[in-house]
Amino acid sequence: MLNYNQALPKDTLIQDLQMKEIKPIMKLIIRGKKREFISAIGKSLNILLPTEANTSTQSDKLSALWLSPDEWMIFSNDPIDENTNDYETEKLLNNNISKLNLGAVTDVTDQFVMINLRGNKIYELFQTGSPFNFNDFQNKKGAVTQTILNKIDIIVHNHDKNAVNLFVRRSFSQHLFSWMNDAASRL
Amino acid sequence: MFIINCPFCGEREQSEFKAGGEAHILRPKQPTELSDDEWAEYLFMRKNIKGVQFERWNHAHGCRKWFNMVRDTSNDEIKAVYKMGEKPPLE
Repeated sequence: MLNYNQALPKDTLIQDLQMKEIKPIMKLIIRGKKREFISAIGKSLNILLPTEANTSTQSDKLSALWLSPDEWMIFSNDPIDENTNDYETEKLLNNNISKLNLGAVTDVTDQFVMINLRGNKIYELFQTGSPFNFNDFQNKKGAVTQTILNKIDIIVHNHDKNAVNLFVRRSFSQHLFSWMNDAASRL
Repeated sequence: MFIINCPFCGEREQSEFKAGGEAHILRPKQPTELSDDEWAEYLFMRKNIKGVQFERWNHAHGCRKWFNMVRDTSNDEIKAVYKMGEKPPLE
């Protein structure tokens, strides 16, 4: 069953830092090791999977984030239709990847909540609760990292200058969001 | 607290990792032929050296991959990090 309920209370703007849940965004986790897997993904989606650690690639419709040497997250750049949970991308991958036993495709649309952060104090906020060194990360557009924020597992994607996509598991999202609001108010 | 150089993600802080105990322990080829003592030796007995030790670690809050590490347990100095399946560095 689809769960397109808003996970987070509302958009907030604290000290020039805007935090907003973006939904519904299609998210898929794909896993595979074979060379044919990577080329099949490239052919099906017209996107090159990033093979370098902590990087991402982007096409018109999709973005691909490197998560580990054999794991990537693919998400839609724009919100999708709310009234269906049939994703063309997922169908395509099911036919071209899963059914040919090249790798695994998992729909995590409802598992992860995407929070978009904008403003010039994003990394100051992260510094208050994350052990990760964001110095190089913040100057590298497209950089991706999985780390901890306030003891919660997150995926951070440096989308643009002063714009970051943050993915967090749905059950942690409310707590993380209220913590971020609290932390942002003290920057 | 110390920094670990994950062979896949690069330098990360220790709190992102989980320690997985001693490395390079081989499972006996014929467990049924072992005595209880020998089996217990394989299953439970670990060296717990004060000094240079070969360990398994898992980047639990990052790429979730296992790897091996050579660490001096007395001062947490990391001598080497290498992937699973690779040969351990000699000293």
